[in-house]
Amino acid sequence: MDVALSRNARRVLRVFFGSLVVFLYAPIAILLIFSFNDSELPSFPLSGFTLRWYHEFATNPDLRAALETSAVVAALSSVGAVLLGVLASVALVRRRFAGKTAFSALVLSPLVIPYVVFGISLLLFFHAVGIPRSILTIVIGHIVISLPYTILVLVPRLTQIDVNLEEAAADLGAGPFQTFRWVVLPLILPAVVSAWLIAFTTSFDEYAVASFVVGTRATFPIYLYGALRFPSRLPQVIAVAVVVMIVSLIVVVSAEVGRRIVERRLGTAPG
Amino acid sequence: MEGSELTERRISREGLLKLVAAGGGAALIGGPSAVAEAARKQLEQESGRLQVLDWVGYEVKQLYAPYLKKYPGQKPKFTFMTNEADALAKLSAGLKPDVVRPYVGYVPDFADSGFFQPWDPKLIPNLKQLNPSMVKAGQYKGKQWGIPQDWGFDAILYRTDKVKPKAKSWGLLFDDRYKGKIAWFDDLNALVWAGYYLGFKKPYDQSDAELKRSQNLLKSKKKNVRMFWSSETDMQSAFASGDLWIAYAWPADWVAMKAKKLKVAYMYPKEGAISWIGMLMLGKNSPRRQHAHAFANAWSSVQTGTWLENNYGYGHSNAHARPTSKDLISALKLNTPSAITEPHAHIDRDIPRRALYARMWEEVKAS
Amino acid sequence: MRSRLATPGLLGLPLVWLLVFFIVPIGIVGAYSVDALHGPEIFAQAHTVSVDAWTHFFHSSVYLGLFWKSVKMSLIVSLVVVALAYPVAYYLALSGTKRKYVLLLILIAPFLTSYLLRVLAWKVILGNNGVLNSFLAWTGIRSADHPLSQLLYSRFAVMLVLAYVWIPFVALPVFVSLETLDRRLLEAAADLGASRLQAFLRVTLPLSLPGVAAAFLFVFIPTVGEFVTPSLVGGPSGYMYGNQISDLFSTGFPDWETGSVLALFLLGVVTVLTAAFSRFMRIGEVASS
Repeated sequence: MDVALSRNARRVLRVFFGSLVVFLYAPIAILLIFSFNDSELPSFPLSGFTLRWYHEFATNPDLRAALETSAVVAALSSVGAVLLGVLASVALVRRRFAGKTAFSALVLSPLVIPYVVFGISLLLFFHAVGIPRSILTIVIGHIVISLPYTILVLVPRLTQIDVNLEEAAADLGAGPFQTFRWVVLPLILPAVVSAWLIAFTTSFDEYAVASFVVGTRATFPIYLYGALRFPSRLPQVIAVAVVVMIVSLIVVVSAEVGRRIVERRLGTAPG
Repeated sequence: MEGSELTERRISREGLLKLVAAGGGAALIGGPSAVAEAARKQLEQESGRLQVLDWVGYEVKQLYAPYLKKYPGQKPKFTFMTNEADALAKLSAGLKPDVVRPYVGYVPDFADSGFFQPWDPKLIPNLKQLNPSMVKAGQYKGKQWGIPQDWGFDAILYRTDKVKPKAKSWGLLFDDRYKGKIAWFDDLNALVWAGYYLGFKKPYDQSDAELKRSQNLLKSKKKNVRMFWSSETDMQSAFASGDLWIAYAWPADWVAMKAKKLKVAYMYPKEGAISWIGMLMLGKNSPRRQHAHAFANAWSSVQTGTWLENNYGYGHSNAHARPTSKDLISALKLNTPSAITEPHAHIDRDIPRRALYARMWEEVKAS
Repeated sequence: MRSRLATPGLLGLPLVWLLVFFIVPIGIVGAYSVDALHGPEIFAQAHTVSVDAWTHFFHSSVYLGLFWKSVKMSLIVSLVVVALAYPVAYYLALSGTKRKYVLLLILIAPFLTSYLLRVLAWKVILGNNGVLNSFLAWTGIRSADHPLSQLLYSRFAVMLVLAYVWIPFVALPVFVSLETLDRRLLEAAADLGASRLQAFLRVTLPLSLPGVAAAFLFVFIPTVGEFVTPSLVGGPSGYMYGNQISDLFSTGFPDWETGSVLALFLLGVVTVLTAAFSRFMRIGEVASS
């Protein structure tokens, strides 16, 4: 007999799970519907099928510019977050040092700061120091935000790796960089990729902090929020957002699945 | 003049090919005549695209078509402002636009800010066609700081099939009968129109006691409000879907709701609607002065005016611009620019104690 | 002695980055809150360091009232989210279903899609002529002239949308804490004669509490400072503390001093909460071992 769930409980929970999933995906499906709706305002009743929003999005230079800007910001900040994350994770897992608790609290604390507070703190900081707001300022903010996520992905994976492997490599004469490059890195690579993807998608979709430190080039979420100000922009934006959502869903899901498969095969030993 | 036209074309081609920055003495074949030389120098010095800080929706190319005709391939680069405070913040942060569009109430502040310079009316031939009182409204301390362009009203949009106003008054925005169906504009000028409703003499410059009364009125009637809108799309989609029956709105919103086949009316309150004029201002030390003046001139053209009136329902300062729809003309008073002046309406103007108004409005929202 | 990458070399960069771009900015907010630094102004004004903005904050009933309102809303959202996510995580972790990771991924995936667009979708659903109301009208449950209009632009809308946004996220930590549960404990409880319900109440629930508490905190804290969702679906009554902060920096006429005070107050409350929770969790771990 199952110690956790009776058969009835299992049935009920399965239905509950199913309903929750429907609840979670229904609004997304509704957006999908409206991206084909032949009307400027997303309200029922539907006005007929059209592909023109997708066409308009493809030919809207400002929208494309915003997507590009977001891609650049996300690429830069995710690389930065992963770099810092790897450094911090190795320190946390493989080194002993005083103040380790404090350090791990510090690197994880961006998770618990309300983004409105962090956003304005950066705004005020850049204003006080005299740094003009730009893509760079958004990248800086996003690195801070994404760093905890990368650490949360990398630390568990690093812990799984047998430290004896590194010691064996050192015994064989490998320097620290070589050990890292040839022993550790291949083993944590799936986690690194995962961390990078999480950082990328976090940055790409991030609105709150970006809204305070954005310069003259709007990111996609900022463009999106601003598009709510003018009716004719909205349907195109829905179209592109549907595309972005589907792409990011596919990418992240397959990456996560891929990571698990690769890690299972890699185990804790290379080769 | 062929010489200058040739050089113009050569220069725009160079621009397109993105050659080494002009002024580096690149291989520009010297123009044969002195005039061509002068024109070439002028255009050569003014390199790069025109930088415009404007509101979303105004980047549409039909609004400055004559400019694109004159400088083909040199589409202006737009940055967007969400409101005048945002524009000032961007300017303080280092943005250097050539042209900015604040609304008339902010012209004195902007002129004093140090970020702008007055226009040279001689370089804007179309200025003669513009409504004289509007042109005057763009003057400050004897100089032409703002070129008037779009104008319109802040008034009340309501559903004629659902709402029966007791009077043509700002009071409709407070009407308890329509609780939950009303939208106010999210701006400190709520204290101003509340002031007009309460009958104050100078709502833009209220005394402390008057401000308290306006604020209390707003606080007490907030419960009837369904949304404070800052984005037109929000308000329009709520109106279109039936969430709103009454809204503080601009003429373009009336145009949009009519297009959605709703029975709506645009009501001018008896206490006087608020009116506004968009003013183009010229950035100080703009390296593209000629282009900027050409841009302002293009905006001031009949062509632009007619397009604006037909498509956005906003008036245009060019007295010769005529929209095609009679409904549009009568509902939005497009042929009577004097409608924006006293006593029919109150042109938005500088608020001496804007910071205090801002704080009191934030308190209304927080309460 | 083997050479290895020294600890300072590893720690240096992340530490400096966070100090400069996370800790220092917060200190600077403090400076603004006492007018030691000031925001952009058209006309230069005289400034002296003073705690006026702080005094005004605590004496005016407006700001603290608004904060309390936001706290209440966040509490409701966090409780609902945890209550809904727990059974689902329990099902995935303990029912022995074969595809649990896939199902978990399906559950979490919406969290990875665009936040703003998910909020917008709800605007479409909740409006007077939206999906819900037109469905009710079509089935005759409500007449078309009397739609449920309290759905959108209300506190309810804000809480609903926030719950919707956070449920996928919360499922994960709860799932993890339930998955690492040693099933042998449950088997032992069954051997001792406990019913499933008793085993759940006495074994599973207490052991999963740290994960639940962490999940609760992870929802509660961002929600208290929320401003994006309220600005889109909240209307005047759904206006939250975060909106006031954001407004003081961006709309109309910025007031950086007051905004800084509000922001620091929020941060202070959040820090105290986090510290208290982590102490509780440490105690909880000690107690259960």
